Amino acid sequence: MKNIILVGKPNSGKSLLFNQLTGLRQKVANFPGVTVELKSGAFDQYKLVDFPGTYSLKSLSRDEELAIEKLHEAMLSDETSIVVCNLDATRLESSLVFGLQVRDLALQHNKGIIFALNMIDEVQRFGHEIDTEKLAADLGCAIFALSAKTLIGLHEFKLALIDAAKHPQEFLPLLHSDDESSVVEISRTLSKRYGVKADVVLKKQNRIDGFLLNNLLGGVIFLTIMFLLFQSIFTWASPLMDFVELVLAESAVKVSIFLPDGVVNDFVTDALFGGVGSFLVFVPQIMVLTFVIGLLEDSGYLARAALICHKPLSYFGLSGRSFIPYLSGHACAIPAIMAARTIESPRKRLITMMTIPLMSCSARLPVYALLIAVLIPDTHYLGGVVNLQGITFFILYFIGILTALLVSTLLTKLTDVDKDKAEMPFVLELPTYRLPHWKPLGHRILTSAKQFVRRAGPVIFMVSVVIWFLGYFPENGVLQSSYLAMLGHWIEPIFEPLGLDWRYGVAILVSFLAREVFVGALGTLFGIEGADENISGLAANIQADGLTLGAGIGLMLFYVLALQCVATVATLKAETGSRKIAWGLFVAYGVLAYCLAWLAASLL
Amino acid sequence: MSQLTLWDIKKKQVAKVDGLDPTLMPSVKRRLSEMGFSSGQDIQCLRRSPFKGPLVLQLGDCVYSLEQDIANRINISAS
Repeated sequence: MKNIILVGKPNSGKSLLFNQLTGLRQKVANFPGVTVELKSGAFDQYKLVDFPGTYSLKSLSRDEELAIEKLHEAMLSDETSIVVCNLDATRLESSLVFGLQVRDLALQHNKGIIFALNMIDEVQRFGHEIDTEKLAADLGCAIFALSAKTLIGLHEFKLALIDAAKHPQEFLPLLHSDDESSVVEISRTLSKRYGVKADVVLKKQNRIDGFLLNNLLGGVIFLTIMFLLFQSIFTWASPLMDFVELVLAESAVKVSIFLPDGVVNDFVTDALFGGVGSFLVFVPQIMVLTFVIGLLEDSGYLARAALICHKPLSYFGLSGRSFIPYLSGHACAIPAIMAARTIESPRKRLITMMTIPLMSCSARLPVYALLIAVLIPDTHYLGGVVNLQGITFFILYFIGILTALLVSTLLTKLTDVDKDKAEMPFVLELPTYRLPHWKPLGHRILTSAKQFVRRAGPVIFMVSVVIWFLGYFPENGVLQSSYLAMLGHWIEPIFEPLGLDWRYGVAILVSFLAREVFVGALGTLFGIEGADENISGLAANIQADGLTLGAGIGLMLFYVLALQCVATVATLKAETGSRKIAWGLFVAYGVLAYCLAWLAASLL
Repeated sequence: MSQLTLWDIKKKQVAKVDGLDPTLMPSVKRRLSEMGFSSGQDIQCLRRSPFKGPLVLQLGDCVYSLEQDIANRINISAS
């Protein structure tokens, strides 16, 4: 199957075009550490590969460098039949600079190219028309006006693309530019001849920015949005979580009726439903978080947030661009560490990467949610808008962020100040505000859930099974005399100062593989013990068992700070190129977490 | 009269780009010229942030945000 490659600037409507061309079946090839994320999907009898958006073919940051490398590879490959370059019709000048560079590259490699003049609906709304026939002649390439949103021209484009992929040689560019500066010149001339006036395009965006970037109001709006984001993780997700929990509990009951009493039945209800099930409950929460972050990104607000944060973050030695990796670090540290590639300054990039693991990722959600349910009463204020559990959540996230900022300051102070001379500057484009389209957003939410389950699922399954075996035998279900209890009692002295007994010790120990295992492990442990009780209410079981407030809060702090994730350590190693940094952080954050947990347990 | 830089621009003011400081890194210089920072281009300041935060400006069909370190290495003249 031959490939069609899709390129374009960021925020040019490329992802939506990709989604409209490929439909629901997509694959994300994620090469951890070394390369960029390449999405692909089937289009007709071809494979459409979506390249990450870059502003230019000359890189400024690490992510662009990698994307451009990949693009060059694809241009050399015989598998590539044709190149599709997506242009933003409302901003011809800036998209043509990139478009012409791609055109010249395609000609150089003897590849055909076809331009998609996307977002033509917006141009029409401005009462403007673009003469595509003349523009095509000026570009020396085929160009099709379309809107991936309203679907105007999409059908014609699809037919043309199939035709072009069949006869790529007929779509070789007829013109090329002499050098770099002429690319900019030509773009400017063509944009003046065909494009919409900049003031018309930017009018609405600038008016909204008047509010959202206002010195005072903008700050208040920013803080409100962030607060609502964290509240939403709890309030919006809880009905969904209750639903998943209900389904799991129902199926556990159904299954256990079918199975004869004995070891197999115990295994299925305790290890499978108790262990693996108690982690599946948290998938909706991860989806809600991804949804809100995606909403902010696709609407164009994230760039404004980076701008607002730039000055405050620079006091801690970070860049405004650190904001986006920090925010996505709340979903998962791994893509966040990769997202730090957009930071131009190598030093700020390193510091951002080193502090991302302190952001409370979604794997910590299950742990927080469980401990909050155990320790904090479900009290509502202001007619249900704010609840005490939500506030506790916010505080835990805040402690993580605060620690990250302190560590950043420390690292900035420690690293040589002279290096500043070679710092890459902060330059940011503010995209148009747009209503996010559900298609790319929906895909993103599903992918986040799938990746989370796929990555954590096998580990959790194995750990649950192993723990169940160790905890069930040799005396079939008597936990106190099991192998696990022996092991647990042996390591108990380590966790005793934290006010935790051996069961928590075992759960913490196994969660060094991946944090979310903690809930599964405790679920299995309490499941074996309370085999006759309702297996779904782990929080209630722990409450009945008695966990002191000090030890509980210490445990929460431990999970805020400790770097308990093998995958993150591996990503850190790959991205920083240093084993020492990766494992050094693992040890340092672990020691810090233990000390704080001990303090909480002793003082409270 | 000393050379005006983009950092001296006032809110709502329109100016012309005069050129880029030669001390800028080549890769940064190239990116800036691709973004449209070349002599004779009109540039308008849309917003200045408090505490010497990044400024927001309109150039061509884009809105960019630049911090002090870079803005004071882009020369302008009042128009």
